[in-house]
Order: sequence, then C-alpha cells, then structure tokens
Amino acid sequence: MMDVKRKTRIYSQYEINVISFYASMVWLMPIVLVVTYVFEVDRLLNINDFIFWLAISNFVVALMGTLILLLRRDRLRRKVKADYQNEFVYLLFICSFGILGVAVFYDYMGFDRKYIANVLIILVAILVYILLQLGRKFYKFDYMKKK
Amino acid sequence: MFLKKQPISDQTLNRIIKYLAIIVLVLVVLFMAIQFKDLWNWITGAIKSAIVPVSLAYLIALIIFPLVKYLEKKGIGPRWLSLAIVFILTAGLIFASFYFVTPIVVSEINNFFSNDFPKIITYLTVDMRDGFILGTDIYDRIMTYIEETNIIGEWLNNLLPTFLASIGSVAIPMVTTIALLPILLIYYLLDYEVINERLRSIIPAKHEKNAAELGSRLNQTVGAYLRGQLLLMLAIGAVATIVYKLIGLKYFFVFGLIVGITNIIPYFGTIIAAVPPIVYAFISSPAGPGPLLVLLVNVVIQFIEGNIFQPIIMGHQLEMHPIIIIISILFFGSLFGALGVVFASPIAASIRVIWNFFKEIKARKLSQSEEGVTTSP
Repeated sequence: MMDVKRKTRIYSQYEINVISFYASMVWLMPIVLVVTYVFEVDRLLNINDFIFWLAISNFVVALMGTLILLLRRDRLRRKVKADYQNEFVYLLFICSFGILGVAVFYDYMGFDRKYIANVLIILVAILVYILLQLGRKFYKFDYMKKK
Repeated sequence: MFLKKQPISDQTLNRIIKYLAIIVLVLVVLFMAIQFKDLWNWITGAIKSAIVPVSLAYLIALIIFPLVKYLEKKGIGPRWLSLAIVFILTAGLIFASFYFVTPIVVSEINNFFSNDFPKIITYLTVDMRDGFILGTDIYDRIMTYIEETNIIGEWLNNLLPTFLASIGSVAIPMVTTIALLPILLIYYLLDYEVINERLRSIIPAKHEKNAAELGSRLNQTVGAYLRGQLLLMLAIGAVATIVYKLIGLKYFFVFGLIVGITNIIPYFGTIIAAVPPIVYAFISSPAGPGPLLVLLVNVVIQFIEGNIFQPIIMGHQLEMHPIIIIISILFFGSLFGALGVVFASPIAASIRVIWNFFKEIKARKLSQSEEGVTTSP
C-alpha cells in the first residue's frame, strides 16, 4: 500500500528544481572543463589555477542558488505538473556533458589515457541507473516502459 | 459448365469512367505543361524566390516564437522589447560562435593542407601501390588509364567554370534570402497572431475550425522537430568533438563540426560524418587512433543519440519507420535538392499528421451518422 502511494505521488516543482540545481552544481566544473578542453584554454592559462578558481565560483553559485531555492520554496511547492519531461531532458544533457567532463578532468590530472574508456563505462552505467530511477520516481518519465 | 460472367453494374462503370477521365485530364495537363515549359519555369522560379525566404522565416519563427512568448509571460513586454532581446541574444550567439570557431576551423584546414595532404598523396601514389589488393600490375594499368584519358584533369578544368556559373543561380538568391530573412522575421514575429488570424480568415467558415486544428497540429510537429533537431545537432557535435579529442584524433574540431551539421540528415548523415575521420585515421595510422576505434566511437555516439536522446527529446510525434524516412529523403531530395534532404523527415511527418487528421474527421463523421441512425425513431 505504501509502495503504491509512493509510486503515484507527484512531486512539486520545488523537489524537481532541487534535484536539477544540485545536479547542475555537481556537474558544473566538469562541464566548464569540457569547454576549456575543446577550445584548448589550458594553453593560455594555468589549468590548476583555473580549476581552483572554478571550484570557488562553483561553491559560491551553489550557496546563492540554495538561498534562492529556500526563498522561493513555498511558491515552488504550490506548482505541480503531471510530468517533468523538459526538466528531465535538461538533467540528461547536464549529466552527459558532465560525464565527458570527468574524462577531461581525468586527462588534465595526468592519469593514464588507456583507462579512460574503463572509467567512462563504469560511470555511465551508474549514471544511467540513477537517471532511470530519478526519471521514474520524480520526473514521471519511465524510459523503460513499453509503448 | 461455363461460369456466367457477372455484368458490370452502372455504379462501377461510372466510377471507372470517372477515374479514366481524371487520368486523361492529368495527362493533358502534363502535356500542356511540357509544351509551355519555359513559361512554367519562369512562373515556378518567381514563386520559388518568394516562397523560400517566407518558408525559412516561418520555420525560424517556430523556434524563436516560444522564446518571445516566454519572455512576455515573465513580464518582459511589449512585443518589440522581448523580440529585440531575443534578436540581440541570437545575433550575439551567432557572432560569438563564428568569432571563436572560425579561427580554429581555418587553422585546422590550413594545417591539413600543409602537413597531411602531401602525406595522403604519397600514400595514394606509393604506399597504396605496394599494398594494392589486386596487385601492382592492375594498379599501374589503372593509373596509366587515368593519365592517358586525363579524367581528373578534365574534371578539374570543368569544375571551375561550373562553379562560377552556379554562383549566379545559387549565390545571389542565397544572399538575397539571408538579407531578407531578419526583416521578414521581425515583421512576422511582431504581428504573429494578427498574420495567423488573417490567414485563418481566408478559409471558409465551414472549414475554419478543422483548418485551425490541423494548422496547430502541424505547427506543433514541425516546431518540435526543429527545436529538437537543433538541440541534438549541438549536443552530438559537441560530444563528437570532445570524444575525438579524447581519443587523440587530429582535426577533431572539423570532424566534430561535420558530425553536428550532418546530424540533420537521418541515417545518411551518420555515414557521411563517419567516413572522413575513419579514412583519415586509416591513412595516418599508426600516428593517431586506429580506424576501428574511430568507427566504434561513431557507432556508440549514434547509438546513444538514436536510442536515448532522440526518443526523449523529439517524443513520439516524429517516430516513423526507417524505410519511410529513407524513401522520403530520396524523394524530397530529388525534388528540392539539399533543402529537400534536410526537411524530408518533417515533411513526411507533416503528411502523416494530415493523413491522420482526415482519418479522424472521417471516423468522427461516421460515428456521428451512426449515432443519428440509432437515435432516430
């Protein structure tokens, strides 16, 4: 009975925004690193300094975002949708580029390039599982459901 | 014992005569069209030069209008202000992407022609001869034939005049379209609702409701396709660029750009984008990654795009059988050229929407008439 209740519960925009925001904060650094990697910013700047300042900015943005979320909590809690497909697409993109960013980070740290594929496969497997669970439970988006 | 032949009913006969008359009329029209070919070309040319910028403005408006509406919903108005913000942001984005991307692309192309092109020529003339699968004798004969007939020389000689001749017919309308597009877009988006209302008022009142519903469904389908496709092109292009760089492929930026641009063509785009990096990896090996690794990367990227991203972003509105998509690419490609190839999928999806809509109307009418029969005393 409890399980059915949990499955059918529709979460408010607040819960969805909290997930999307913290996912963005977790993946912000890897995503910025992806852009720096493509445009070869490491040739212009000291990448260690860049990562340090990026981490500090990430922390500040996370604090500010948390504050904004807390201030708008009541208003967001009143907003409910049947499903959150657009938000799920956003999460999917963030996670995909984040994963690539982890590979870039791995490369910047000077680890052996031979094992990038192994690291990526394990990370992708874990992430796909988490995304499927999040999609089913919070975003009401069941990818595995048969049409 | 002979079976008696059923006589043809008057109804069937009438139907046959009607179809025959239609076929004859179509043939007559076709014959007349062939007789006045020049006049038709002149008329279709004039229509095409007006329709292409208007259609492009309509398609771009489908992408931009939701943004303008979103800004208005957030209280940023009147319309000209929200439109100005969207236009400035779009122009800034286009300028920034050109500003940052063009130097990299130009340097990679220069690098290719100064470093790798001579290597490829050497490969084709020396290494390929030694390792030719049919033997060096056959290779020499092919090369002698090419040299004697001067096929490549003739082709190159014809290339420049053909290119120069095509500038007049292709480049001038293209430049006109590019110049007209922002102006058309501004006026269309400023009076979006008014123009749509005027267009609707042309339709007879009897069909107005159905036409409005069909129009909204078509807008939704084509808009969803365009927005989704743009997002996918950007994402897949970026992912391919990063992965190519991670595996150590040279000219990763140009190859990634090709993946992003060709992603707009279903099925064929994947093959077109995969060929250059694979061929390059094959020729430059063992210096860079092997061709098998490049092929594997392409397969994995396309698999993830086709099975995860596309169904989630595009939804099931544009889900069509691959055979139908391939046929529509071939058909619309031969009809409208490059634009036909690019827009084959949304055109096919629109045709399906129209077909389903009329099927629905027919079913609705049938159920209404059945209800009328059962309720009548």
